[in-house]
Amino acid sequence: MIRSMFEAFKNLFKPVHTVNYPATELVLPKGYRGLIEYDKEACIFCDKCEKVCPPGAILFYQPLEGEKEYRYNPWLCIYCGECVRACPKPQEALWQSETKQQSALKEDGANEGWFVWEAACKQSREDFKAAKIKNKSEESV
Amino acid sequence: MKKTIQIPLGSQHISLLEPIRFKFECENEKIIGVDADVGFVHRGVELACTRSFEFKQVGYVVARVCGLCAITHSLSYTLAVEKLLGYVANDRIKYLRMLMVELDRIHSHMLCLAHTAENAGFEALFMQIMADRELVMDLQEAISGNRVQFDFIAIGGVNRDLTPELSALIHKNLELLSDKIDTLLGLFDNNWSLSLKYKGVGVLTLDQAYTYNALGPLARAAGLATDVRVETSDFPYEALGYTMVLESTGDIHARNFVRLREILNSIAMCRNIVDNLPSGEIQEKTKGKPSGEAVVRVEAPRGELFYLVRGNGQNMLERVRIKTPTFSAIPAMMEVFKGSEYADAPAILASFDPCMSCTAK
Repeated sequence: MIRSMFEAFKNLFKPVHTVNYPATELVLPKGYRGLIEYDKEACIFCDKCEKVCPPGAILFYQPLEGEKEYRYNPWLCIYCGECVRACPKPQEALWQSETKQQSALKEDGANEGWFVWEAACKQSREDFKAAKIKNKSEESV
Repeated sequence: MKKTIQIPLGSQHISLLEPIRFKFECENEKIIGVDADVGFVHRGVELACTRSFEFKQVGYVVARVCGLCAITHSLSYTLAVEKLLGYVANDRIKYLRMLMVELDRIHSHMLCLAHTAENAGFEALFMQIMADRELVMDLQEAISGNRVQFDFIAIGGVNRDLTPELSALIHKNLELLSDKIDTLLGLFDNNWSLSLKYKGVGVLTLDQAYTYNALGPLARAAGLATDVRVETSDFPYEALGYTMVLESTGDIHARNFVRLREILNSIAMCRNIVDNLPSGEIQEKTKGKPSGEAVVRVEAPRGELFYLVRGNGQNMLERVRIKTPTFSAIPAMMEVFKGSEYADAPAILASFDPCMSCTAK
């Protein structure tokens, strides 16, 4: 009892354990799993990252002509790094940075905006397929 | 006229971490009957595993069942799928997986001790243990790259390797932690106000533990020698200095002591793992798709975690069944409440270390 009172008195003069966040920056450890970053120049558009992503945070839009368009939802991402491990050109086309994602605001459209994009991607695939079949049948004629 | 009154505890209550409801049938202050309801945080994880995700992604889904034992969930699932694929991990992978599971056990036990102290009215001790717990959380963050969701274990290995700097950090933090646990042992044993709330309160006898199928620290505090770590041979626990911690009284004090001494045992094992880490690849390619049925048991911090995985050679699994330690321990928990004072109920409940998100999933 006396010892615990002595401890309690000693604790009055100890430094605090907590950090004055956000005034003081948090120190992230080396190798912190942060945002996934992408380089369009190195990408070969194999879609492997899109297929392995557990939450489906990477989606490619397929236009009728030209390159696919990459889109990434940093708020849906779970930062597991599966996409980087699946990438045939890791560290060049796709890599994991140590930056921490800020919270989403309403205008970021983390949910609604992404659902629209998801539907657009699905539709673009179907359109592309239909156009391809149409082209083929026209060629054979 | 009715002699008893019904007092509910939960589903929202100041002493609860997660929603659970107990209906106590009380005679004056004594509890004579208990009714429990646990399904408040149901999220349909089992069905999502078989409908929305391919088997390679499910490991990351089941890790989200519970924030505290994320690593045990993904480990059990991975072991089950590896059994179906006929893949046997090398020693380095096994050791790294064990390291994370044991670190997880340390921080989960510390959280339980902190909450038992808080529910017994000792707020300062709660703060102290939670501050000490940061040592382990920092280690896990440094090893896996994230504080809570580790995503460390994947099918065919682990995602990250242990560097020499990390080994040094592990030794340093565990050294600091083991001193603090020694002081806590003295505090939990000798502090007068804690002994009033803990000693002889919430007793589960050996007979009851056996009859109601108690497991984990709850059973070991009552003297029932049950631990999946010695019953299965998935990991070389015996070689790394595992000793079973047993107490005999079965009250809250005994449960706290089992946890504290298990932490010391886990610290010793972690040190052994880091010192004797074998060389080898940390990730290997697995081939094929799971077909057949596999059952895996892993000792989670709260007891036996049971996984059943059934596949039919497709990318989608047929069935994933998760049976968590808290769910299996509910009959034993309800038995402990009978005969104790209503005022002790929050402390008794915290000493079970119930994990409702695991149970309802």
